[in-house]
Amino acid sequence: MESMVVTENLTKVYGKGETAVTALKGINLSIGQGEFVAVMGPSGCGKSTLLYLIGGLDRPTEGKVYLDGQELSTLTDNQVTEIRRRKMGFVFQFYNLIPVLSALENAALPMILDGVPVARAHERARLWLERVGLSDRLDHRPAELSGGQQQRVAIARALAHEPLIILADEPTGNLDSRAGDEIATLLRQISSEWGRTILMVTHDPRIAAYADRIVFLKDGKIVDQTHLNGNAQEGRINEADS
Amino acid sequence: MSVRNALLGLLSQRPRHGYELLQAFETMAGGREVWEVKPAQVYTTLARLKENGLIVEVPSGDENGNERQMYALTPAGRDELKSWFEQPVRSERQRDEFFIKLMLAVATGYVDPREVIYAQRSSLYQELHDLTERRMTLDPRRDLAHILLLDQAIMHIEADLRWMDMIEARLDEVARQPLPEPEMRPRGRPPGKRAG
Repeated sequence: MESMVVTENLTKVYGKGETAVTALKGINLSIGQGEFVAVMGPSGCGKSTLLYLIGGLDRPTEGKVYLDGQELSTLTDNQVTEIRRRKMGFVFQFYNLIPVLSALENAALPMILDGVPVARAHERARLWLERVGLSDRLDHRPAELSGGQQQRVAIARALAHEPLIILADEPTGNLDSRAGDEIATLLRQISSEWGRTILMVTHDPRIAAYADRIVFLKDGKIVDQTHLNGNAQEGRINEADS
Repeated sequence: MSVRNALLGLLSQRPRHGYELLQAFETMAGGREVWEVKPAQVYTTLARLKENGLIVEVPSGDENGNERQMYALTPAGRDELKSWFEQPVRSERQRDEFFIKLMLAVATGYVDPREVIYAQRSSLYQELHDLTERRMTLDPRRDLAHILLLDQAIMHIEADLRWMDMIEARLDEVARQPLPEPEMRPRGRPPGKRAG
């Protein structure tokens, strides 16, 4: 499996001197093309920092991030912004939709701002809104949609420009159990059926279990990783009873 | 299964008498109210462990010069204990067997309790992943009962996983605590007073 994202000795220290806080300590992580990876860990373990550094939303103190072979830290802020806009898709806990725009206009907006012709942007947005199950909600405004549906619009918006990776920060954090499961099922499908690469931060075990791999962070370090086997029969523990 | 392996774990610390093992087990498990074992169960289990070559009897005299049988772990017993610690416990049995495994790891330091937690956590996540995948293939209109039961199983495992996180956080708090050793209770009737 080709690596879509590689981090080398990724380290982030906030502040200086005695008040310095080390959020990440030498993270070496590789995410394969098409892989769905969940990052878990207690509050303050550095999981959001990791997502922000990979997403180019913050710069590392030490270490490197490669996206599809390209190192981000050597680029200027403007170049990073362009990569973020064209090659990454973000999904957050809150959907950040524009209230006066329809689902279709919201999903198409980043592409239009990036100079894609409106008709082409709407075509891409419509395709992904249909794939996330909102073909009958294209003209609805956010206020007319449920939380789960608004998050679907945000996911369609994140995917419509065909990014190399989706970065999701607590995508189910604002949803109830049922809607959260639907969003997690959708992310699973985006990875399995449409081959997209996903890095998701969550504190919810039920949501993390949808992924191909779970990375456990603690005190800024990777302490454990679990590869989840796709075959329901494998990976089971067979222990003889005595 | 749990009592058997717990006895091996307690013997990994040092050779012990049968009755002492019983008391050490109950203390480790949180007291007799939590988990009571009968002397007969301890002695039957010890006999079976001896038969399997996992423990041996070693003679010892008490302060009055009476011969009392002590038990000690054999190399085969150590191997058995080690492989038990490394295996995760199936979720339906985890509340007893995993709990004993964890408490033994904490008490004896035979393995790092975190390794026990991580192995169990991986196994629970695999189970959760399997149940989730199975649920995704079902149609709510045709397979409602099946889906509801899967929901229940999924939420139980979710609770177990939250318990794992809680255990890890609590272990960080206490770092490593010594095994609470039982106070030896005198066996049988109290001496002196006798009815009649």
